[in-house]
Amino acid sequence: MAVLRFLARPLSRRLRSGYGWVDERAGTTSMLHKGLYEAVPKRGGWAYALGSATLALILLQLFTGIFLLLDYVPSFNQAFDSLHYLETSDRFGSWVRGMHLWGAYVLILVIGLHMLRTFLSASYKRPRELNWVSGAVLFFLTLGLAITGAMLPMDNAGYWTAVVVTNIPHYIPFIGDGIRSLWRGSDFVGPVTLTRTFGIHIWVLPFLLFALIGGHLMLLRRHGEFGSWVNYQTDTDDPEREITERILKAEPPYPTKRTGRRWAAPRDTVDFFPDQIFKDIVISVVLIAVIFVMGYIAGAPLDERADPATLTYVPTPEWFYLPLDQMLLLYPSNYLILVGGLGLVGIGATLLTLLPFLDRSHARAPLRRPEVIIPGLLLALAVVMLAVLGANRLFNL
Amino acid sequence: MTRYSRRRALITGTAVGGAAIGLMLSIPAIGFVISPLFQARRNSWVRVTTLESVPLETPTPFTVSVPIDQGPPGEPVDRVVYVVRRRSGRVYVLSNTCSHMQCNVHWDPKLGASGQFLCPCHGGLYDITGLNVGGPPPSPLPPWRHRISTLPDGSRLLEIENQYAENV
Repeated sequence: MAVLRFLARPLSRRLRSGYGWVDERAGTTSMLHKGLYEAVPKRGGWAYALGSATLALILLQLFTGIFLLLDYVPSFNQAFDSLHYLETSDRFGSWVRGMHLWGAYVLILVIGLHMLRTFLSASYKRPRELNWVSGAVLFFLTLGLAITGAMLPMDNAGYWTAVVVTNIPHYIPFIGDGIRSLWRGSDFVGPVTLTRTFGIHIWVLPFLLFALIGGHLMLLRRHGEFGSWVNYQTDTDDPEREITERILKAEPPYPTKRTGRRWAAPRDTVDFFPDQIFKDIVISVVLIAVIFVMGYIAGAPLDERADPATLTYVPTPEWFYLPLDQMLLLYPSNYLILVGGLGLVGIGATLLTLLPFLDRSHARAPLRRPEVIIPGLLLALAVVMLAVLGANRLFNL
Repeated sequence: MTRYSRRRALITGTAVGGAAIGLMLSIPAIGFVISPLFQARRNSWVRVTTLESVPLETPTPFTVSVPIDQGPPGEPVDRVVYVVRRRSGRVYVLSNTCSHMQCNVHWDPKLGASGQFLCPCHGGLYDITGLNVGGPPPSPLPPWRHRISTLPDGSRLLEIENQYAENV
């Protein structure tokens, strides 16, 4: 009888009561509200969209990656053939592969901009130190995904990338050759190298990546978006009273706990939905459109089949590894490669990760903390210079 | 007091159980991952050339199919063997693997006074004996493990094994 009564109602009421049934049991509405109605600083929303764009692009990589997995054969002898087939006989397959490559390119650029924005605005300061640390580790995981992905096609580019990259541990004293052998499966790059790198690329790194993204987002929701110092200016004669009022009427997740009163609540906020999500979607649409078009027009290159005995092929690194590659030129001899190459890069990566613990001042405006901004920008400039020098060298070959 | 010790026992039991699961999962997993370190080598001697066919004082590349020393049985893989015969009678059997980042070096007769090995990746240079003479390479070109035997007709046969004579 209850079923007949349900069916006799108009469709809209049936849908509503059906949803009501689910909502009563699963709590979907309150979950959605929690996810969508969260205060975000009003000014600077376009800059915050870089973070959500990073997430959107990572999900795009997951999406295109799953489709590549349907065709790609992770075998030393067949990987190239499977992709050659994809490139020559499958218009949409090569498009998806192009989007996976261009998605990676855009993703690395956007992560760089996201980090730069966070760096300039000092959003990593107490209590958001772990947001930065987890973000830095996410950046390294992304670079790891990019370099393991570059090896998989087993064309000349992929094979020689595998040779050079799996050789890097060789320069670690005592255990280096052991690590290299574990990764390669023996002294040389071969079938085991490919299956291991494939496993690392599709499971190990993505698993760590998505787990850490969960933590990164949880921290974001816990402390709220910091924004920048302009969101915390006061414009009355009595700044103390103004800040107190601001804290009293702050909406969750503000006021931020464990920070100075001044930085606890931004002056004006908007709801994440629809104010911020609109900006997020605009940026994501533009970026994904670039990937969509470039994936079709430029696609992803596939060299000749891997030839371990080539005397003419010139291995060149992907552009995002050019700074590291150029640094290798500067260090002759074993000892200096260890200190200069691995050591400097390791120290740089550690300093980058631990930035919140190095910059202890209370200042947030870039001009008020030159002791951090100037070295940071110089370092960024050095990385760009190395990339330009490297590109110049490769073009002149 | 009894409640406290019961609670204590449950916590200890949980910790021990967790540790046992961790141990049972990690022993085979770690062994699996590090198995290549303990694998017996499957090496065999492969013919390169007879020395009489190699011109004097000219590093000559030969492409040799050697078995891959890893993974399931599969097709052999091509490797480059540079054979250098000096007037003095010395023979060098060099890999073309750069000692810097393992890129593929080649002999360029136009470099230096009478030719050098060049690595295209970072510009490493080696002389005719494989000694590193310029650029970032930290050590000479790795020689192949090789042997020379005299055939019944008097010619000398050069064979290599699929590993370097020294660690690169």
